[in-house]
Amino acid sequence: MTGASTHNLRVENLSIAYGTGERALHAVRDVSFSIAKGEAYGLIGESGSGKTSVAYALLKYLRGGTIRTGAIDIAGNDILAMSPSALRDFRGNRAAMVYQDPMSSLNPSIVVGEQIAEALRRHRGLDERAAWQRSVELLALVHLPAPDALAKRYPHQLSGGQQQRVVIALAIACEPDLLILDEPTTGLDVTTQAVVLDLIQELRHRVRSSILFISHNLGVVAQTCDRIGVLYAGELVEEGLCATVVSQPSHPYTAGLLRSMPRAADRAFELKPIPGSLPDLTRPPPGCIFAKRCEVAGAECTERRPGARRLSDTHVTRCFFPERVPELRDAGDKTVAPAVAAVAGPGAQPVLEMDALSLSFRQHVGLPFFGTVRETRALDDVSLSVPRGRTLAVVGESGSGKSTLARTVVGLLAAERGVVRFEGTALASQAAQRELDLRRRIQMIFQNPDGALNPQLRVGDIVARPLRLYGRAKAAEIPARVVELLEKVRLGARYASRFPHELSGGEKQRVNIARVLAADPEIIVCDEPTSALDISVQASVLNQLRELQAAAGLTYLFISHDLAVVRYISDTVAVMYLGRVVETGPTETIFHGPHHPYTESLLAALPEIDKPRRPVAAVPPLPDWGGKGCLFAPRCPRRIDGLCERVAPPLADTGDGRLMACHVPLSGLAAAQAAIPATEPA
Amino acid sequence: MVTFVVRRLAFMMLILVSVSFLTFLIVNVLPGDVANTILGDFATPDQVEALRQRLGLNQPVLYRYVEWAAGMVHGDFGISLKTNQPIGPTLWGRLKNSLILASLGLAVAIPIGIGLGVVAAVYKGSFLDRAITTTVVIIFALPEYVIGLALILIFSIRWNLLPASSLVLPGQSVFSNPLTLVLPIAVVALGMLAYFCQVTRASMIATLNSGYVRTAVLKGLHKRSVVVKHALRNAMIPTLAEIGLSFGYSLGGLVVIETVFSYPGIGQFLVQAIQNRDIPALQAAVIVVAAAYSIGNLIADVGSLALNPKLRV
Amino acid sequence: MSGQQPQTTAKPAVSPWERLSQVAILLFPALLFFLIAFGPLVTPYSPTNFDPPNALRAPGEAYLLGTDEFGRDVFSRIVAGAQPTLLPALISTFIGILLGTITGLAAAYYRGRRDEIIMRVMDVLLSFPALILSMLIIVTLGANMVTLVLAIGFVFWPRSARLIRSAAIELAQHEFIDAARARGESAFHIMFREILPNMWGIIIVDFTLRFASAVLLVASLSYLGIGVSPPTPAWGLLVKEGQPLLQMAPWVVIFPCVVIAIVSVGSVMFGEVIRRRLTLPDRRILS
Repeated sequence: MTGASTHNLRVENLSIAYGTGERALHAVRDVSFSIAKGEAYGLIGESGSGKTSVAYALLKYLRGGTIRTGAIDIAGNDILAMSPSALRDFRGNRAAMVYQDPMSSLNPSIVVGEQIAEALRRHRGLDERAAWQRSVELLALVHLPAPDALAKRYPHQLSGGQQQRVVIALAIACEPDLLILDEPTTGLDVTTQAVVLDLIQELRHRVRSSILFISHNLGVVAQTCDRIGVLYAGELVEEGLCATVVSQPSHPYTAGLLRSMPRAADRAFELKPIPGSLPDLTRPPPGCIFAKRCEVAGAECTERRPGARRLSDTHVTRCFFPERVPELRDAGDKTVAPAVAAVAGPGAQPVLEMDALSLSFRQHVGLPFFGTVRETRALDDVSLSVPRGRTLAVVGESGSGKSTLARTVVGLLAAERGVVRFEGTALASQAAQRELDLRRRIQMIFQNPDGALNPQLRVGDIVARPLRLYGRAKAAEIPARVVELLEKVRLGARYASRFPHELSGGEKQRVNIARVLAADPEIIVCDEPTSALDISVQASVLNQLRELQAAAGLTYLFISHDLAVVRYISDTVAVMYLGRVVETGPTETIFHGPHHPYTESLLAALPEIDKPRRPVAAVPPLPDWGGKGCLFAPRCPRRIDGLCERVAPPLADTGDGRLMACHVPLSGLAAAQAAIPATEPA
Repeated sequence: MVTFVVRRLAFMMLILVSVSFLTFLIVNVLPGDVANTILGDFATPDQVEALRQRLGLNQPVLYRYVEWAAGMVHGDFGISLKTNQPIGPTLWGRLKNSLILASLGLAVAIPIGIGLGVVAAVYKGSFLDRAITTTVVIIFALPEYVIGLALILIFSIRWNLLPASSLVLPGQSVFSNPLTLVLPIAVVALGMLAYFCQVTRASMIATLNSGYVRTAVLKGLHKRSVVVKHALRNAMIPTLAEIGLSFGYSLGGLVVIETVFSYPGIGQFLVQAIQNRDIPALQAAVIVVAAAYSIGNLIADVGSLALNPKLRV
Repeated sequence: MSGQQPQTTAKPAVSPWERLSQVAILLFPALLFFLIAFGPLVTPYSPTNFDPPNALRAPGEAYLLGTDEFGRDVFSRIVAGAQPTLLPALISTFIGILLGTITGLAAAYYRGRRDEIIMRVMDVLLSFPALILSMLIIVTLGANMVTLVLAIGFVFWPRSARLIRSAAIELAQHEFIDAARARGESAFHIMFREILPNMWGIIIVDFTLRFASAVLLVASLSYLGIGVSPPTPAWGLLVKEGQPLLQMAPWVVIFPCVVIAIVSVGSVMFGEVIRRRLTLPDRRILS
């Protein structure tokens, strides 16, 4: 191999398969790319794209998979030809990896300092003391507080963000030529993600490693990398500079991905999902891998596999008709109803009210009969309401209490104080104590489409259950009603006889929606209904929900951690932090600003493809904060010292149609937030 | 850590009180009169009444329980119906013998069982793994007396290498002829190591598939270090807990093993108590076995606690 | 989202030998049922009648597995002994698992205080080694077939309940249980229509493993002379009665031992085959 001087990584014609013979799954096919020294390359793909297989293949670590063809060269080393012992010397030394789930990537019974030090002893030949010393330095390098003490802690004593920083410190310990980041921020909260991304940016300039950044999130990659490769069903379909690929995609799949990404900055942006689903990779089609789902495909697309077509020095696409892509990019989905359904005028009677709900979780720690009780406030005096036919989105990070709120509304959890009202009547706190018809009128869609379906029941029986339970159809009519419901969510009658495991993630969530519709509800509580789905599938589920709302006047309580999704789907928003509502009002007002400081930090942290992310404001920590006052005060960049940490701000009317809990007046927030670049493009 | 042990001890005491009460209930309240059970079907009503008087059976159950439990706390286990001697001293001697047998068996079984389990897990799916797994399943599925008789047949009758019986004269130590211990220990150890091997293999496979073992491999560590330092240590946490649970199983097994080899342990004591219809002796023996079981569990829990930093708060 | 490496969909190839052994193991329960139902009817000799002239015959043409000191045919005694050994094992396993399943499901469904109380009671019962608790019960209730069955069933109850409970709790984490609760389904519906159908695999495997240990328990108890009394030719009793002859006429002991071993190993293997078919995680035989 040549070019070892300019490139740290070269992958040529890599093909990976799982299993053998007829049933072999050809997960990755003919993938070639290279990364220059000091360059960050983003590899983006949805589930089933093979991106993780590529990452592990680079370290020759494929459990159950085999590299069929191809060559991998890292800084002049032919990886595939290495002996096991040479490979051991190489891994963690010249090439290292940061994993998706930091908690499970660290050994729970070894202190974190030792987990780094052992790599240094192994590869750098340092003695015990020097290795420990160096690992403390590395922990300091990734900005972990009090690294001396932290090195002696066990992983479970650190937060998720801290754990990931430890893993990063471990990965850069030996200053590798290639640093592989496999979904390093997936599963982290958006503000934590921002901190980790900032750290990666900073380290890029310090360590002269090449970076391979693997992600499903275009926004994250666009902000971190120089170049981007788009992987679809095991093939690299497009590659180019980040800015080029995002603004001028030249493969229909890339364009489709961009069309299905909701944007927090732009509400008018209509999502357009990619039709169809992944091809069967045990028998990849002979033509273009994307042809079946492509809206601009021609006859030759299904016959012949398009070769890599070079559009410029850096921009390559595997498409016969890149010139047709722009029309695809600009076409909005006109079939979707407008977001704001004109159902209820202002001042309409709310159909759902949450009145001063409070709930704490008491977790028993230790042995039965002994141990202590740990109490967490999940809901603290939460009052919200939703008018008929509208969508209230509740947004917040993990621990904000948003899911608890959803569960309290449907009666899965009982509030300790406060009451949920439906059309003005108070509901019993437990679902079991509510009248059958009231239960029917409030339904819930769950986060995990897979877990919400009983694997032992057929789709038809699952959808039929509410019809039977609530007596919505005579026995003889049930099969016909089931088919009707399945068609309503764009699944055919043939799905009725299938089991859940035979369906894709998107199809499962459609079955969940069909089951909810079978009850003929008035309110649907959606608890993160799309967070387990791929972007392109998420778009179709969101559009489906909007269509149903427009058609049947449904009321949604929509729980989400994703501000972009919230902006797309909601009429009003409530932002929650540690069990309290910090801000609530019309979606446009909330997104336009001025923002509550917490909302501000959420928006600032949000990685979007077309705006630079603002660095997260570092706040000096409060020395002795007793947990009184504003809960956000310790992290707040707009904190008024001496006030915020002592007095909790009430949720007060700001005069522009919303309620906000902040001591800083709206004008003060506006001034402070105007000082930094605006979130929205003019 | 100390508070954990203290709490765990308190919990154990609670269990023991319940266990003793339950034992007492089973013996005293279940249909079928103890006096009848002791005397058999051909006793005259007068004889039964006399025995009831002697055993204090005409008093309320709760009163009798408290009296009995209070006695036990003071080391008074009652009087044997068979020998008219206090049960305590004999029982302790027998318990000591059983503990010798069990702990020597454990000492053999733990290293071999865990070692085989690790080997089977590391070479999962290989011929070696299959050979180990199959052997272990077969050993595990055999009753102790079948293994015991097979060993006697081979080592005592066929080759005449080892004594078939561990009978010792009253008052003599079981160590007076160490050769007699070999076969009973072998049977105890075989059953336990089969179990340890299965448990170790299962938890090793789980840890070998974990994210942190992947991290260790991709750190470039040597295989030895990956297996011992990263996988085995974590695999031992559930394994130790399982070993604690198996302690009771092996105590049950001792009953049979001691009968096969005429070994003077608590299991044999129990069987003799049953054969002699010696209810006070039976009660006492059952409580002692349950207590030993609980203590075994406690030790295992503390051991797995010592390995698990998450619980060390 | 994604991130996981795809799992191999292809199953590993099965060798003909492996397939054969699987078939053999699946035929195994059929053989056991035959022995239980018809065993006493198909013995070549009387299993209980004395025949002193033919005492202690070595295995041969006339007596396949030899005779004991009273001239009884060992083979006939083993065949006839299947019923008194296997039937109580089968029924007690059934009782134990039935009780355990109901208790375990209820504990997992209700959680909270009720669960706590149920499981502490189970803990107490678990503090007795299985063999010793069953001995205790049998001795107090009086030794006969019925108490033998009840005692073993009772001993299995907490063990099975604990297994079912932990599996059901794991299952109840799934959102389809939340969905059912939110719909307002009854406790009965959730326990038996939503949770139970997902547990059959675990229950069947538990049944086979526990049956194996029930056979061992019955055999051990009868070896110790508890539960079954002569002249019933229960297998454990055959071993006990033959043990003094170990040196003189080993066949009297060896063959019952071998049969106990075959049945016990066979049911464990049977459970393993089923578990692999259902791809369940490793479950321990004990506790």
